[in-house]
Amino acid sequence: MMNKKKYAAMGAAVLLASMSLAGCGSNGNNAPNDTASTNNATNNAGNNAATTNDSTNANAGSTNAGATTDTPKLTGDFEVQYFVGGYGDKWWTKVIADFQAANPDLHVKALGGPKINEQNKPRWIGGNPPDFVYIDGPELNDRQMVEDGQLEDLTDWIKDAKNVDGDKILDMLAQQPQQFDGKIYNIPLVLNSWGIFWNKALFKEKGWQEPQDFQQFLDVSDKIKAAGTTPFIHTGKYPYYINGAFLYPAIVSANNGDYKVLQDMAANKVEAFESEAVKTALGKIVTLRDKGFIDKASIQINHTDSQMLFLQNKDAFIPNGLWLPNEMSKDIPQGFDFGFIPSITQDAGQKIVANTSTATVAIAKNAKNKDAAHAFLQFVFSKAQASQWAELSGAPSNIKGDISASNAPSFVKDAAKYLTDPNTIVIPTITFNADVDKAMQDATDALTIGKIDPAGWVKRVTDVVKKVAK
Amino acid sequence: MDGRVRPVVLREFYRKGGRVMEAGSAKWQRNLFIASFIIPTFVFFCVFTIYPVAKGLYYSMFDWSGMSQTKDFIGFGNFKEMFRDPIVWRAIGNDYFLVVGKIVGIMVLATFFAVALTRFNFKMAGFFRSIFFIPNVISVVVIGVLWNFIYNPQIGFLNAFLSLFTDEKVSITWLGFTNHTIWMLLPPAIWAGIGFYMILLIAAIQNIPASYYEAADLEGAGQWTQFRRITVPLIWEQMKVSILNIMMTTLNGSFVIVWIMTEGGPDNSTQVMGSYLYQMAFRQYHFGFGAAIGVLILVLSLITTVVLQRLLRHETVELS
Repeated sequence: MMNKKKYAAMGAAVLLASMSLAGCGSNGNNAPNDTASTNNATNNAGNNAATTNDSTNANAGSTNAGATTDTPKLTGDFEVQYFVGGYGDKWWTKVIADFQAANPDLHVKALGGPKINEQNKPRWIGGNPPDFVYIDGPELNDRQMVEDGQLEDLTDWIKDAKNVDGDKILDMLAQQPQQFDGKIYNIPLVLNSWGIFWNKALFKEKGWQEPQDFQQFLDVSDKIKAAGTTPFIHTGKYPYYINGAFLYPAIVSANNGDYKVLQDMAANKVEAFESEAVKTALGKIVTLRDKGFIDKASIQINHTDSQMLFLQNKDAFIPNGLWLPNEMSKDIPQGFDFGFIPSITQDAGQKIVANTSTATVAIAKNAKNKDAAHAFLQFVFSKAQASQWAELSGAPSNIKGDISASNAPSFVKDAAKYLTDPNTIVIPTITFNADVDKAMQDATDALTIGKIDPAGWVKRVTDVVKKVAK
Repeated sequence: MDGRVRPVVLREFYRKGGRVMEAGSAKWQRNLFIASFIIPTFVFFCVFTIYPVAKGLYYSMFDWSGMSQTKDFIGFGNFKEMFRDPIVWRAIGNDYFLVVGKIVGIMVLATFFAVALTRFNFKMAGFFRSIFFIPNVISVVVIGVLWNFIYNPQIGFLNAFLSLFTDEKVSITWLGFTNHTIWMLLPPAIWAGIGFYMILLIAAIQNIPASYYEAADLEGAGQWTQFRRITVPLIWEQMKVSILNIMMTTLNGSFVIVWIMTEGGPDNSTQVMGSYLYQMAFRQYHFGFGAAIGVLILVLSLITTVVLQRLLRHETVELS
């Protein structure tokens, strides 16, 4: 009898517990308080170079004083969502701390991490997003966010928005924001570039010429192949590398340096995909394929494997992004010297084409503190923060400015020089529709292994474009 | 007098009434006891199984990016589109290819090992049992990465091994033939599955009384006849369970090994339903379409289970 009572009581307890647990499921939209809200104390971790930081802080402080004269005092909560990937989070913690210091009455909450995009998804779906978002990493796509109506239209605001130093933001950007049907929703923060890498040391040792145009590239590849090295490797598992670093610049070169064709492709215009420029560019991939320059391993390997083979000098060229030296820093053999050119597909005498790879920032349409979000944009797009970005993230910032005095790694400074050179055609950020992008990737893979020809590529991709454009 | 009778009557009264009450509350307590186990289980089942399935069905009726606040109801639009999509058909084909390949491969090898380790009394049986079981304790992710190295055309084990027998270095891209790459996913999947089913069958074989085999020996039946006439009929139930389990785990779970090794590529040649679901829902922002593929997986799993159960129906052999 006593035992039964005990069991009954226990059963009831289990039942109650399960009910309270079940209740958790429906109530998932609470603000994720467990994500560290930024305290000033968290931010000093990344500050190795005390001198630069002091100066930037002072700068930020003084300029903000100027800016606050005509803007109301910022109060309330302000949430910043930032994905932490290859660029790390040192800059984010720093800039958020700086912004918090400049606006003591504002409560800035940092929602950052490698999984933050997934974690915050329910809040975006539920109409309760963070105020400010850094669009990078998986599951966030600016074009899709615009189509979903998640981002604030910044077209009118950005037209004459000035940063905290009083400079016009648009004038400071190395690459202009992408337009979606003529409207601006997000602003590029990072200026990175795709391109072709080689090992200068190896080229010097073997007496190979570092190529400056497509013909030189083919000529030297012949020599490389004859010497027993495979000229070209890419990652077939992620064909956006070869598309971004080889095909898209090739399309722009074939279109006399006019990147409008890529923008038309991104706007799902079928005739852009059928243009001669696209066919010529695809023909260049076919040339590589038919001459046997593409490493046969490419089709099945991921980016890390392809990069490893390149670093072991098994392959001479690799299409990649400027983050490559940083990404592989632990595996770079002694004496390896990165050579880089943003594009290899231009004819002799044509300008070099740099296809940028970027990450952007935006304000949520349903942001609760839009004033703070605008102020944060003005704060972020300043020269002080640009040099700080280059230094803490190891990538060039999208803000024009001399970073030669900063502590940024030397290849970042070189790249920044390349990208601001008037003889380089810089393709601004372009995001393709995700379906079209995937179709282009699959088709390029199929093209590199001889499964289809350029006409087949165009057919496949335009079929998807027509479906998407409906 | 009163003083003596009353306590007796009262005692009697309380005793009778008390027993009735006791019986009633015992029944109630028994029910409560059962309910305290059933209800939480049922609630959990509803919350974590029924609700997601219902929600998945619901989402499959919408055109939804997975991030937008608005969803457009399109009825069976996703399903219509799904059946027009050649990649879906290829994914279904690949899934069933893996189901058949894994059932044949795992069952043949697991049975072989189980019989070898039980019926031929050799000393190292325990050691080999452990060795064959090891892949089961390794995460599928690790298995995928490991086999990716085996298949690597430049630095992989397989090409290095084959190169021992040829003059020139072998450089086959094992995961690069768009027409056959799915074949290459079978060995890791089989390798990873053998151990568990082997243990299951070993347990079944050990339950067969030794006297059966002794009698068969006396009658002059060879090992093969003993296997066919004694072992297989008596472990058929376990084999059936194994086959059904392999089928279900493959249809629902082949995603992991595909995603780790090929991400459905090259050129969608190794896409299975699970990987295509992920691709569409989270990479191409068609959550509704992804949910529709989820429903397809559910329906196909159910149908295949019923069909397989019919096919495997076999007269039960009793141990007597």
